[in-house]
Amino acid sequence: MFNTSYFVQVIPKVFMKIPVTLEIAVISTFFALLIGVIIAVIAYYRIPVLYPLTRGIVSFTRGTPLVAQLYFLYFGVAIYSTLVRDMTPTMAVCLVLSINVGAFMSESIRGALMSVDDGQKEAALSLGMSGFQIITRIVLPQAVRVALPPLFNDFITLIKSSSLAFMLGVADIMGAARMEGSMSYRYFEVYAVVMIAYWILITGFGLVRVRLEKHCAEAF
Amino acid sequence: MSEELVKVEHLYKEFDEGNVILKDISFTVKKNEAVAIIGPSGTGKSTLLRCLNYLTVPTKGIVSMGEVSVDAEHHTKKEVLELRKNSSMVFQQFNLFKNKTAIENVMEAMLTVLHMNRKEAYEKAEGLLKKVGMLDRKDFYPSKLSGGQQQRVAIARAMSVNPDVMLFDEPTSALDPEWVKEVLETIKALAKEGVTMILVTHEIPFAREVASRVLFMDEGRIAADGTPEEIIDHPEDPRLRQFLSFMER
Ligand SMILES: Nc1ncnc2c1ncn2[C@@H]1O[C@H](COP(=O)(O)OP(=O)(O)OP(=O)(O)O)[C@@H](O)[C@H]1O
Ligand SMILES: [Mg+2]
Repeated sequence: MFNTSYFVQVIPKVFMKIPVTLEIAVISTFFALLIGVIIAVIAYYRIPVLYPLTRGIVSFTRGTPLVAQLYFLYFGVAIYSTLVRDMTPTMAVCLVLSINVGAFMSESIRGALMSVDDGQKEAALSLGMSGFQIITRIVLPQAVRVALPPLFNDFITLIKSSSLAFMLGVADIMGAARMEGSMSYRYFEVYAVVMIAYWILITGFGLVRVRLEKHCAEAF
Repeated sequence: MSEELVKVEHLYKEFDEGNVILKDISFTVKKNEAVAIIGPSGTGKSTLLRCLNYLTVPTKGIVSMGEVSVDAEHHTKKEVLELRKNSSMVFQQFNLFKNKTAIENVMEAMLTVLHMNRKEAYEKAEGLLKKVGMLDRKDFYPSKLSGGQQQRVAIARAMSVNPDVMLFDEPTSALDPEWVKEVLETIKALAKEGVTMILVTHEIPFAREVASRVLFMDEGRIAADGTPEEIIDHPEDPRLRQFLSFMER
């Protein structure tokens, strides 16, 4: 039978771990953005050598599951790299998520850069503006509006993906729940709380996303 | 004898191997002249105009504007920047900066290229917008302006860098008919003031009225060059006659 008092008791235990999940998501989003912008700029200018290299990385991260990437780094690469071996599980998760989500983000950032038509760039050139002035003053401000909603979506996806961290023993929402469940064996109550916790988080950010999208759609 | 502001010598443009669009183009434009370029579609009028400020890099030949002279076969980035400072262009599609208001569009190059301070740039931009009749909409974004209004702002923006020469590439052909007149009037006023300009246009009566000289381009060459009376009223070249009678319809 559903144990209501136990259910209520588990709620704070799981909800307490929301900051851990958010921490992973926020840190990973920050580095993913950094990686995404770098890859997108390389693609936008088609910088020789770097461009095919980043294409390869993007193809590999998009073409393999996140869990495989996580295990490959944390258990595979770790054998040869002391750097990886010395990482805390949280760091390893953030690293894999940053690269993975960065690869996806680079596509929306590149698309946003391309969405600024050549005509505006030519007008700027014909006035004597430099390439740097054009990208910083004309292209980027317009691209940000286009890129922001899909990037925020990536952030929401990242919250879901961060639940994989428990596989490396991180005590996030999932990690805490697994521990709780292994003691009480009341998996239904425990994971029901987990579902609710993620649902509140993701729906909440979903509402933010709707407002953001509306704001960005109000073209200049 | 008035001074030559623009000098084009033996200009060629080949896009792909064997696809020669401009063939041995030479002409000069004097200060205060308004030169109209007319000709059938696809003869290279836009390409020629774009070669004048190196938005399209010519294959061969020399473009000179004021003090700057650029040889296509060995040009530097610095020369191209200098060349661009001597002219400015008004495009068929306006190409206003979408993230900037009308007045910010006009101020942009004054701030970034001429390095003027904001106050000075703002005041000068107001003057230019007044001149094109757009001062009352100075805080509008391009998306809130009609085509004709956008094009008038684009003209003010092009004037902002004090160009020696204004280049217009069919400034009215993307406009709905009701907006054509106000843009042509604006250009006419500039020509009357003595602004040196090269204007590609399909509006033959306008060219007749405003230009001091008309070039007829055909298949990548300048096939006729003369006064509006010579070129439009009394055409001799058979291809030119054919073109003009086609345009009348
Ligand atoms: N970037 C390019 N690459 C290859 N060919 C080009 C390029 N730009 C223009 N052309 C070709 O050059 C020729 C001349 O084009 P251009 O736009 O200069 O003609 P135009 O006289 O301005 O025509 P219109 O009156 O239709 O504007 C066309 O055949 C066009 O296809
Ligand atoms: Mg053209």
